[in-house]
Amino acid sequence: MRAKKRRKIDKMIQSLIYLISFIGVIIFVSIIGYIVTTGGKLLSFELLTGNYQAKVTDIFVESNGDNYTYPSSENEYYSPRWDIAVKDSINKEGNPIVEISYIGDNSPMKKAKNLNDCLIGDKSFCSEYSSVNIVVGNSIKTVIMDDYNQIAYGKYKAEAMVKVLEKGSTINSMSIQKEGGGIRGSIITTIYLIVLTLILAVPVGVFTALHLKEYSKNKKSTYLIRSMIDLLTGVPSIIYGMIGVVVVIPMLNIIFKTNGSSILAGAFTMAIILLPTIIKNTEEALKVIPQEIRAASLALGASKTQTTFKVVLPSAIPGILTGVLLGIGRIIGESAALVLVMGAAIKDQVSIKEGSTTLAVHIWQAVGGEQPNYELAAAISIVILIVVFILNRIAKIIAKKMNKSWY
Amino acid sequence: MNTKKEINNIFKIKNLNLFYADNQALIDLEVNIEKNKVTALIGPSGCGKSTFLRCLNRMNDLIEICKIRGTITFEDRNIYRPNYDVIDLRTNVGMVFQKPNPFPMSIYDNVSYGPKCQGIKDKKILDEIVEKALRDAALWDEVKDRLHSSAMMMSGGQQQRVCIARAIAMEPKVILMDEPTSALDPIATQKVENLIENLKKDYTIVIVTHSMQQAARISDNTVFFLLGKIIETGPTNKMFSNPNKQETEDYITGKFG
Ligand SMILES: Nc1ncnc2c1ncn2[C@@H]1O[C@H](COP(=O)(O)OP(=O)(O)OP(=O)(O)O)[C@@H](O)[C@H]1O
Ligand SMILES: [Mg+2]
Repeated sequence: MRAKKRRKIDKMIQSLIYLISFIGVIIFVSIIGYIVTTGGKLLSFELLTGNYQAKVTDIFVESNGDNYTYPSSENEYYSPRWDIAVKDSINKEGNPIVEISYIGDNSPMKKAKNLNDCLIGDKSFCSEYSSVNIVVGNSIKTVIMDDYNQIAYGKYKAEAMVKVLEKGSTINSMSIQKEGGGIRGSIITTIYLIVLTLILAVPVGVFTALHLKEYSKNKKSTYLIRSMIDLLTGVPSIIYGMIGVVVVIPMLNIIFKTNGSSILAGAFTMAIILLPTIIKNTEEALKVIPQEIRAASLALGASKTQTTFKVVLPSAIPGILTGVLLGIGRIIGESAALVLVMGAAIKDQVSIKEGSTTLAVHIWQAVGGEQPNYELAAAISIVILIVVFILNRIAKIIAKKMNKSWY
Repeated sequence: MNTKKEINNIFKIKNLNLFYADNQALIDLEVNIEKNKVTALIGPSGCGKSTFLRCLNRMNDLIEICKIRGTITFEDRNIYRPNYDVIDLRTNVGMVFQKPNPFPMSIYDNVSYGPKCQGIKDKKILDEIVEKALRDAALWDEVKDRLHSSAMMMSGGQQQRVCIARAIAMEPKVILMDEPTSALDPIATQKVENLIENLKKDYTIVIVTHSMQQAARISDNTVFFLLGKIIETGPTNKMFSNPNKQETEDYITGKFG
């Protein structure tokens, strides 16, 4: 009778556990599913390696009088005189553009002259021109034909633009835009920030932990330091961001001659944020190492330093690595503090002495504006997921290689 | 006669008192350890055998609450003199612990650890030291093909012999062993005992044991501890056949302990 009842309760609890874990799985799958389906379309080599800033070039082209042909597809509009096809499209920021979808090998456009180097962009002031490489994927913003009345803007749509293009034998001025929106700068910034932060935080963290666990004899002071570390782990990062602004940035302005926000300031701030985590993880790793191992080393006539660096520290590496990994996760995920100390301006040319955005801040920028761009945010999220996945694998492999089992 | 005996005593312990905080663990110990002999320390649990053993290579230094009074001379120099070089002492007085405690490294790295810490870097010399130590520990044939695999993967008995090899590699004068076979099965115990038998020629060995048979089999001298005091000390065969004190007889015959 009682056994029966117990079995019933066991069954109920079991089904409850299954149900709850099933809900968890569904949530995870749907998050990843949403990110992949929303961002997948946008994810491309260009997105990863491209500039964020769009680049506009004004050109001047003369027709050679030939008429070309091209089997244009449904939504393309072809200009026989210039041997290019254009179509209506949408750029990474979500704005409509007229995109070049085809450009013939013998197209007169290949001989286009760059007006950007000319005084006030007017060909009458120019004697020499540099060439321009127009490729599929560029968009056309404006066209002004030799007859100045024939003007087309990107917002006229592809069909209207082709009509204008066919109305003259010289294009007086055409603005070609190489689309921006790439995240290369943010990827590089993220890598810089991770490397710099770890260079600052890991040695300090590990040595502090060594001091606390292996060397310090003063129980009161270690207790004090430990309680402080515990407290600091719980402090919201925005407070560290504020400290970064009022302490770190002015300090770096003096030492490294930076000018306000910089990746360096971000690294110092993140290092402060990570220190407690790294110290705690290293200490935990040191705690697990049996006292007998230390005794064995000392009994062999090794000094304290030799014992610490030849036996204790190597054995603690997997644990230290866990701390580092958590730290990297935190660097990748941080946005609030970084906006304060590194600014929110997305850069293509990244320098550690200047502000920039990490991928997370880039996402914050993408969805924070008036026209939130969820596709871009999701695409960046995919990049972050991949990076985190790779880092996890690497850490697991290293930990496995160095794993010291005590049992 | 008297002077000859003095020369043969590698350790001389005089008036040794040891406290863990306010707890006295060793009381007025007076005993000598004979050179190139095996000395067994016996006595019931908690009587201070391990504590005494740790005094001989100053491993008690690691225990903060431990306070020591009295003198212990090693080769006629007081090892508790303030400026005595502890590292030098420990290179001369090796130790094998109760629980096998190899480093989480390869067998080779375990055995070469001590010499490396002394600054020997030449690979050839290290190779020789490792081979000799493993041969002396009767382990060479078993492990010569896997010197670079982890010592943690070996059986308990093999681990303990690696630990002995690790101690031998330093070519110490004395090896201290704290119940080296208590964590081992009878066959592994047999191997370690044979090993001790062989090491006798070149080393002074001080061994703590709970096995009267073991003490009788391998030791030349025996020291009997009870409640932090040395009750009796002398040649093993004499003490086991005809002890001076009633407590000694009671302990050896298993009446208590
Ligand atoms: N690290 C320590 N701190 C405090 N007291 C200790 C410490 N080590 C040993 N003692 C105490 O000293 C006394 C002697 O202990 P010791 O370990 O030397 O005994 P033992 O003879 O080796 O016993 P066993 O045969 O069980 O190993 C015991 O009362 C023990 O509680
Ligand atoms: Mg003991």
